[in-house]
Amino acid sequence: MEIQAEEKEGYVLVTPVGELDVYTVPLFRKVVLKLEGDRRHDLIMDLTKLTFIDSSGLGSLIETFQKVQSADGEIAFVIDNPHMLKILKLVDLDKVFHIFPNLGRALEHVGAAGGYYDEEFFSDLT
Amino acid sequence: MKPIFRGVNKSKLKVDFPCRHKSLRRARSVVRKFAQRHGFEADAEDIALATQEALKNIVQYACPVDGSMHITMTDAGDRMVVEVMDRGTGFDPRAIEEGPPSPMALHGRGIQIMRGLMDEVLVESGRGSTVVHMEKMRAR
Repeated sequence: MEIQAEEKEGYVLVTPVGELDVYTVPLFRKVVLKLEGDRRHDLIMDLTKLTFIDSSGLGSLIETFQKVQSADGEIAFVIDNPHMLKILKLVDLDKVFHIFPNLGRALEHVGAAGGYYDEEFFSDLT
Repeated sequence: MKPIFRGVNKSKLKVDFPCRHKSLRRARSVVRKFAQRHGFEADAEDIALATQEALKNIVQYACPVDGSMHITMTDAGDRMVVEVMDRGTGFDPRAIEEGPPSPMALHGRGIQIMRGLMDEVLVESGRGSTVVHMEKMRAR
C-alpha cells in the first residue's frame, strides 16, 4: 500500500493506493494520524485508488474522522467505487461520513465548511 | 508454514492456513478464485471479504494451539458454502447477538459485514472449536 499526502492551501489531500486492511492499517494510522497531529486541518480522503477495504480499514477511517472533527476540522471522502460504497452502507457509515463522487464536489464541501467570512473586507462592499 | 490444500473433489476444497495476519490475503485470494471458477463471479469479492473477516477474528482473538485455521469451500449447486473453523478456546455466541456497533465504534464490524454480504451466517462455538458457516445463493 502507498499513501499519497499533499498539503494544499487550506486542506490536506490524502490518497491511499491499494488495499486498506488489517495488514496495512498500521501504516495508514502512522501516516494519517501523524499528519493530522493536533493541528486543525480540513481533510479530503480520496478513496478512488483504494482496491479493497475490510473492517479494520473502516475502523481507521472512523478514527481519522473523529480526529479531524475533534480538532474542529472538516473531512470529506471521495468514493467512486460501488463496492466500496456498498461496504460503507452495510455499516451505516454513509449516514455519518460526507461522501462525494469526485474531488470537485468534496472540495466544494470542505471549502464551504472550512471557509471564513471576513467582515472587515466585505464591510466596504455592502 | 504454508497453506495446505486438501482438495476433496471438484466441488469441494479444504485449505488449512497458518494462524497469522499474513494468511488473510492469501485466503481471500483462494476463496475468490474458487468462487469465480464455480460461477459465483458476481459475488466472489463479497464471499472473499466475508471469509477474511471470519479469519481475522481467529487471528485477533482465538489463535488455536495447533496454529491453524481451516476453510472448506463447497459449490452446493444453487449456493456456495464456506465454513471457517478453528480449534481455539471458543466463545459465547450470544456475545455477537447484541446487535451492530454504533457507526462510530472503532471495532466490532466483522460479523456485521459477514451478515450483510452473505445470505446465511451461523456461528457455533463451544469448548475447543468455533465454526462459522456462511452461504451465498447463486446469482440468477
